[in-house]
Amino acid sequence: MTDKKKEFFLWRWLKRGLGVGRKELSFEEEEQIQTPMRAMVSNFVHRKLAMLGLIVFLSIFVFVMIGPKFWPLDLSDQDASLVNLPPSSNMMKVPEAMLKAGVADIAAGNTYGIGTDKNGEIYVWGHSRITDKIDVANIPDEVREADIVSIAAGTDHVVALAEDGEVYVWGNTRLKQDKFGNDMKKAMKAGGEDWEVVQLEASNQFSAIVCSDGNLYLWGNGNMADIKIRSKYEGKIAKVALTENEYISLLKDGTVAYTGYKDKNSPFARVPDELDELTVKDIASTSKTVAAITEDGQIFVWGNATKGENKIPEFASKPVKLYGGRYHYTALLEDGSIVTWGDNKYKQLNVPADIANAGNIERIFVSNYQNYALDTEGKVHTWGLKGFVLGTDGLGRDMLTRIVNGGKVTMTVGAISVIIATILGILFGGIAGYFGGRIDILVMRIAEIVGGLPFIPFAMILSAVIGSRIDPTQRMYLIMVVLGVLSWVPTCRLVRAQILAQREMEYVTAAKAMGIKEGTIVFRHILPNVISLLIVSMTLDFATCMLTESTLSYLGFGIPLPTPTWGNLLNGANNSIVIQQYWWQWVFPAAIFGVCTICINLIGDGLRDALDPKALGR
Amino acid sequence: MGKYIAKRIGYMALVFLIVSLLMYSLYNLIPSDPARAELEAQKQGLTPAEYERMYQELRERMGLDDPLLIRYARWMGLWPDVEDQGFNGLLEGNFGYSQFFKQDVIEVIKAPMSNTIFINIFSTILALGITIPLGIYCAVHKGKRIDNGVQVVTMLGYSIPIYIIALIFMFFFCVVWRIFPISGTKTAGAIYASKWEEFIDMLHHITLPVIVMTFASLGGMTRYVRSSMIDALSMDYIRTARAKGLKEKVVIYSHAWRNALLPVVTSIIGWFISIFSGSVIVETTFSLNGMGKLYWTGLNNLDFELVLAIQMFYTVVALMGSLIMDISYGLVDPRVRVDK
Repeated sequence: MTDKKKEFFLWRWLKRGLGVGRKELSFEEEEQIQTPMRAMVSNFVHRKLAMLGLIVFLSIFVFVMIGPKFWPLDLSDQDASLVNLPPSSNMMKVPEAMLKAGVADIAAGNTYGIGTDKNGEIYVWGHSRITDKIDVANIPDEVREADIVSIAAGTDHVVALAEDGEVYVWGNTRLKQDKFGNDMKKAMKAGGEDWEVVQLEASNQFSAIVCSDGNLYLWGNGNMADIKIRSKYEGKIAKVALTENEYISLLKDGTVAYTGYKDKNSPFARVPDELDELTVKDIASTSKTVAAITEDGQIFVWGNATKGENKIPEFASKPVKLYGGRYHYTALLEDGSIVTWGDNKYKQLNVPADIANAGNIERIFVSNYQNYALDTEGKVHTWGLKGFVLGTDGLGRDMLTRIVNGGKVTMTVGAISVIIATILGILFGGIAGYFGGRIDILVMRIAEIVGGLPFIPFAMILSAVIGSRIDPTQRMYLIMVVLGVLSWVPTCRLVRAQILAQREMEYVTAAKAMGIKEGTIVFRHILPNVISLLIVSMTLDFATCMLTESTLSYLGFGIPLPTPTWGNLLNGANNSIVIQQYWWQWVFPAAIFGVCTICINLIGDGLRDALDPKALGR
Repeated sequence: MGKYIAKRIGYMALVFLIVSLLMYSLYNLIPSDPARAELEAQKQGLTPAEYERMYQELRERMGLDDPLLIRYARWMGLWPDVEDQGFNGLLEGNFGYSQFFKQDVIEVIKAPMSNTIFINIFSTILALGITIPLGIYCAVHKGKRIDNGVQVVTMLGYSIPIYIIALIFMFFFCVVWRIFPISGTKTAGAIYASKWEEFIDMLHHITLPVIVMTFASLGGMTRYVRSSMIDALSMDYIRTARAKGLKEKVVIYSHAWRNALLPVVTSIIGWFISIFSGSVIVETTFSLNGMGKLYWTGLNNLDFELVLAIQMFYTVVALMGSLIMDISYGLVDPRVRVDK
């Protein structure tokens, strides 16, 4: 058979293992030639629905088992700026119309981008709804009419500067984000030389303006942010960098100073000593750190650097400009290449290869997790957080990551509990079935008690009583054991019934006659004949265990948060706000879990039918 | 038959004792001190020595220093109390005192118990009313388009966890169409003109939970009825009946259905027990004032006397269920001689 040899050996093994690819056998032949196991498999693969279930289930299985490698889980992860975001991927989708007219300025808020073109038009993209009623895309009419030259985006408000020096604020204005200080109003009214804005900045509920005469004006939510300036710095400020609630200033004499009133205990007030002798050219800030770049190209970072903001890389040439995002810095070097460092959770450090060293970048706009680079041809290159495919939950965590990792936990727990239950079931069933008599009665009475216990309440009380004194990881093992110990009864009954039937068969008599030990007969002779039935019951039990685990977690008595499972992802979804407004937080976990259990049941039904000659119409 | 039932009841009592002992010792794993809790209120006005003396006295009076088995027997009502030497336990109707609700457990349980039983019986009747005719119809029309459609829907029904079904129903009925309230058993702050109005309001609140519970149990039961009907219809006596020229109705309902009933009865009772414990999920999801919700609240607040009492209720329901199952076995199928 030369044909057969050409076939790839693995393929041939697979075919033989599954019992496909050979000619159909009549059922008498089948019974004589095939083992029951192989007969079951070959019957199974001809069932379309069951095979579909198997394929879908295996894909989900592979997805959740390999997925955590790509979407690693960080249990301490939470981000107040990214909560309850709907599925999107348009956070950096700069409108075409704006590119055509020529980009004048771009700013990025938490989840949206906003920009102006050279005609003074404003464009908003991304998720711009801050709350139910507030949407920064609702640009006030007077702003539409004005010629906007510069724009800054805060957490929930936008500040725009018109050509005539007028400043507009919209978005969330409940916390005085639009209440300018008196001196600023005076300066704005006077106009002329005194009111030439050189820098416009916005941060978490407060904003800042630096004028060419060296005056800094801050306004906004003064309860949170430091919005005061010490009078000795008046008229000396060249540039400002805003952190989450504080700010530092670059003075006109080339030094850096903390010019606010919270300088006693602010980490930003501890400016590195080396900077005293050097001239600072530019400053930048992330949410928790500030950085300064000196004339000779040295960079200093201070503040609470927790995400690698202070791990400054080696530069090929002198850095000239520095920009800060939420947890990362982007520097433009003298030769035009771009270097980034800091946190890379949302790929905000991954500069596209075609611009990293191209040297044609004119300006860079960096804020939060987004980077926009404008090249000399007026094209905008972006990198950073595009959006979340499946949205985020109430703590700003990516739903996709949680679903993938939750699936892994749910499946692991389900699989291990099934294994425990099956081992216990085989053990007790085997003992009861083979030895019979008093042992049988005893075992079956125990099984009756365990099987008669109301499952969910009992598992809940076990988890609550024992789980209260152990740590979350141990609690996960506890759940596996509880599920396993409470669900071995059906397997036990099945094994016992099968053994009772098989015990009378000739091969057992033969084995007995040969003097084989009873235990060996049960576990080595009888059990292999029951294995196909066991597989069916294991498949169906797997679905049941997954369901029970997720139900317990849903009720808050299973795997505790923050470890995700498909059950506790839905914990807290039963209120109208989540159901209606944050639909992605329950639809996606519910859908993948539903599909998964349906598939397992399809497989189980298919296997059962494949095993049952009656279902084949014989 | 009578002897058999007596034997079963004796066995049930034994199981009940074992389970309750198990639960009681589990409950005793919790580090809690009722004596200290009771003294907590007076602690301010006492000197340390006085406090210690009163504490020890109270411990003695409560019998906290006795061995576990004696405490268990006392709780159960099989051992005299320290104080008045009377029997005062579970068997005498004293279910304990709820620390969380600051009330006797029996008072706390009354209203939720009636709610739960009402909901469960209501949804059981509803589900049986739908599943039995549907299952028979599908079995008779096996392989037809309607049968396949029903198979798909029931597959969904029993695969999808009940709380996901609840969320989906909530989305459509409470959020999109706003037909039913999303939680609770009565309108907050409502004053009713009559009993009837109160009843209607309650009905309005529990309709959706009942629908969800019914829908969730449709799947399994319909499939069960269908498959046992198919088995019965494939028997030789059906062929005989048809060959005799009997009407199809008679063949189905008189010959096949009676024989298909046996496995159905078994599963109905098992399923009735499971919906009792399954109503924990529905009640918590809909914040219904039922046993399940109470159980959940008790567990979350570590109110273990309450939890223990409800757990006993579930156990009794389960045991009664299995007893009824065994007896009805004999009633439905004369071949099964239970008294043997």
